[in-house]
Amino acid sequence: MINRKFVSKSLTSRLRHYALPPSATGTRRLAAVIISVLFASSSYASDADQPQPLNTVDAKTHSCHLDGLSEQLQCGKISVPENPQKPDGKHIDIHFAILPAIKDTHPSEALLAIAGGPGQSAIEHAAGFDRLLNKVRQQRDILLIDQRGTGLSNILNCEDAEATSMLSFNDEDVDIIADTEKCLTQTDADITQYGSQTALTDFEAVRTYLGYQKLHLYGVSYGTRMAQLYMRHYPEALSTVTLDGVVPMQQSVVAIGSAIERGFELLMRDCASNQACHTQYPDLLADFKTVDQRLTTKPTEQSVRDPLTNEPSTLLLTRSKFNGAIRMGLYTPAIRALLPHAIHQAAKEDYQPILGIYALSADGIGLAMGMHASVVCGEDIHRISDQMRKDAKESYISSTMMEGLEKTCEIWKVPAVADSFSEPISSDLPTLLLSGELDPATPPNWGALAAKNLTNAKHLISPFATHGVAAQTCANDLIADLVDSASVKKIDASCLEKDIRRSFYLNANSVEPIISTDAGTVAIADEAALTNNATGTDKE
Amino acid sequence: MNKLIAMVRKELIDAARDKRSVMAGLYYAIGTPLIMCGMFMVLINQLTSPEDLNITINKAENAPDLVRYLSRKGINQADLTAKPDTDVKAITLTITEDYAANMAKAKPAEVIILADNSDEKLQKSIRRLQQELQTYSAEMGSLRLIARGINPQVMQSLKVDMQDQSTPDSKGGMILGIAIFTMIYSVFISAMNLAIDTSAGERERNSLALMLSHPISTRQLVLGKVIAVTLFALLGLMLILLISKIAYTFVPWQELGFSINISTDFMKLMFVIGIPVALLASTLQLFVSFMAKSFKEAQSYLTMVLFVPIALSMAASYNIAPDMLQWIPVSGQQQALMDFIKGKEIPMLQLAVSSIMTIVISLGLMFGMEKMLKSEKVVFGL
Repeated sequence: MINRKFVSKSLTSRLRHYALPPSATGTRRLAAVIISVLFASSSYASDADQPQPLNTVDAKTHSCHLDGLSEQLQCGKISVPENPQKPDGKHIDIHFAILPAIKDTHPSEALLAIAGGPGQSAIEHAAGFDRLLNKVRQQRDILLIDQRGTGLSNILNCEDAEATSMLSFNDEDVDIIADTEKCLTQTDADITQYGSQTALTDFEAVRTYLGYQKLHLYGVSYGTRMAQLYMRHYPEALSTVTLDGVVPMQQSVVAIGSAIERGFELLMRDCASNQACHTQYPDLLADFKTVDQRLTTKPTEQSVRDPLTNEPSTLLLTRSKFNGAIRMGLYTPAIRALLPHAIHQAAKEDYQPILGIYALSADGIGLAMGMHASVVCGEDIHRISDQMRKDAKESYISSTMMEGLEKTCEIWKVPAVADSFSEPISSDLPTLLLSGELDPATPPNWGALAAKNLTNAKHLISPFATHGVAAQTCANDLIADLVDSASVKKIDASCLEKDIRRSFYLNANSVEPIISTDAGTVAIADEAALTNNATGTDKE
Repeated sequence: MNKLIAMVRKELIDAARDKRSVMAGLYYAIGTPLIMCGMFMVLINQLTSPEDLNITINKAENAPDLVRYLSRKGINQADLTAKPDTDVKAITLTITEDYAANMAKAKPAEVIILADNSDEKLQKSIRRLQQELQTYSAEMGSLRLIARGINPQVMQSLKVDMQDQSTPDSKGGMILGIAIFTMIYSVFISAMNLAIDTSAGERERNSLALMLSHPISTRQLVLGKVIAVTLFALLGLMLILLISKIAYTFVPWQELGFSINISTDFMKLMFVIGIPVALLASTLQLFVSFMAKSFKEAQSYLTMVLFVPIALSMAASYNIAPDMLQWIPVSGQQQALMDFIKGKEIPMLQLAVSSIMTIVISLGLMFGMEKMLKSEKVVFGL
């Protein structure tokens, strides 16, 4: 049984990448999967932990440990007025963490990593940022700030008191208005003060508090909006900027409906153009439509084992759960590789793989939904155009999301930002924009849109990455190059061309097609079809 | 008092005259940090796995997904036909013929790593390959569970959070221990030439007896010599501190995951703590040299006697020392310095005790010398 031991030991070390934070159950949490707009890829996700103060090194920070990192880090907080217009009013704490440079050759600089969401905590994802920005950290501090309303900084979240089974409850029946009202009564925060621009003043306050003269920015997903605002309002404090999975200022995040559709179509295309996948799942789109139709007519009810506890339970699979699971899967390349198998099995009324994928996000996706709503309702919902509304009607996911958000914002009343907010950013700061071709949230043309008025920018598109390019490709090395040279000119992006795509699962076990040999191994697929193009290394 | 100052001046002028032997004493202080840094630079390059690790992969076509995964992690299949001059490590990964068949049946699919694990230069690369293969295996295991409708979290029955109490400085503790050792050693080495020259040498040149015939006491004579030699030892210490501060910044320590930083605070502390040590170094070496009959004999004795402080310092630097060493001269100071650089609290009591003991021993030796110089046997080397 040596083998089993080996497997389980290595598994545990890897699990963090797939397991999303365990947290309280609640209907709001589930609705989050369906209606939340961006959220960074789940490869960042890890369990949340409170920093634990140990001893005071100096007055500004204290040493602490963060989840997933064994070494001592520096944590701290500053107190800011909740409403900057009322400096004497209620104050909230903005928490930050510093991953100290290994060899601090640039003590007056730091890289500020901004998390996605809106609503993700940067400090919770310290381990992910540490892995990602490992090279930058060799010589510069990495600064993580929990944006107001997230993580440790006066989190605006909505927890439901009654526990609902994620498996059996009908998420299509959720009364979003009532839920939002209930959430609103739970909080005593001024929800209008949790938008991006107010949060930006906190970031700048942390920078001056810590005495960094220049910041390098790395923003991912929604974090790119914060980074762009930083470029607009405090360019003198910045040295370089990296935008990964770009949300241009001109774009309302609600528009990601079409990006989700696009991401799904690319999945269909990739499987069809891959011999092994195509042979195994020749009618994948039809399979999907079969399930979608079936669930539209009536949600399926099945007796299953709870994916985590193994308790006998009932799975009520609705159309929205099915689509939500696939949407989640599109974010992470490894899970994306399982989607064709999951869809195919679902068409055969075997819902186990879909259940497995659904269970990954059923506990919530680690977003502070109150803060999420404050941002979206103030900055995006009023920017929905008639065209977007028309497009949304075509797509189930888009229309559900738009509807859900509009209902939320009816209750979650935040004044709309000024029109100047949506103007493109003009800057000559060295800026690196990263887009993933397969991104189901922020497609490459969004990156191009953001780069419009950036005179010193380079927009790189990874042909194989989804959302969050730096975590999936060599782009994290390119960020280190940018930070070191403070110029986009010298960045050599050839490594992005390296074929790193993951093969699709051909069954519940394997990604590798069996090539028939003289020994007479059982072939899954037609030998002739496989000889030239065994695993889909075909170039587009 | 004036006589004492005159004595010290005389000793220093004497020492400065023999430039070659003075420099020989200081070469150590200048050279050691440079040599150490050069050595570490070479070692770090040898021990770290290259960013792009090129290995030989046999039957890569049996597991294209695995090969692409490895290449994403910087472990590439060497392509000698396209780039014949690539640096290929002597590691071969063979993917078995029934890899895909076993995988499809959820049986363990076999891959074979062929490499010499005793080759230190390869060890890091081998470990890296093993780790990536395990990660891949774990990822696939998780996906298999998901495909069966099971949350892969069930495999993680324990979540072990390591909360390491070490600081970035203490991670380099071993190397810092060696660095502090070289500094303490330099106090002894820098003083050695002058100590011999001013005692045994002076006697051989017959100027010792002449000195004693002047109207000065033996105490003044001994004190003058001790002060001169101590100043020299401290000069050596100052040199090695300055050069270490500069040289150590050039070594890419960050590749080992820590940094070695000789801070100004450390330099000040080291210098202050070094004063009693330098006093001990000079009195000990002067005492032994006076005991010896000739210059050559003094040299041989000193090399032997020096072994004691070296051994004390060395033992303390390896963290294997019994606690008792904290209270003993030289090793007590060494441990206090190491604690300081590791960001721990300096054990003040131990440091005080070992420093006082150092001074007491030095005074004892001085007293001994004073007595010795009253004897003709010693003055004329009979």
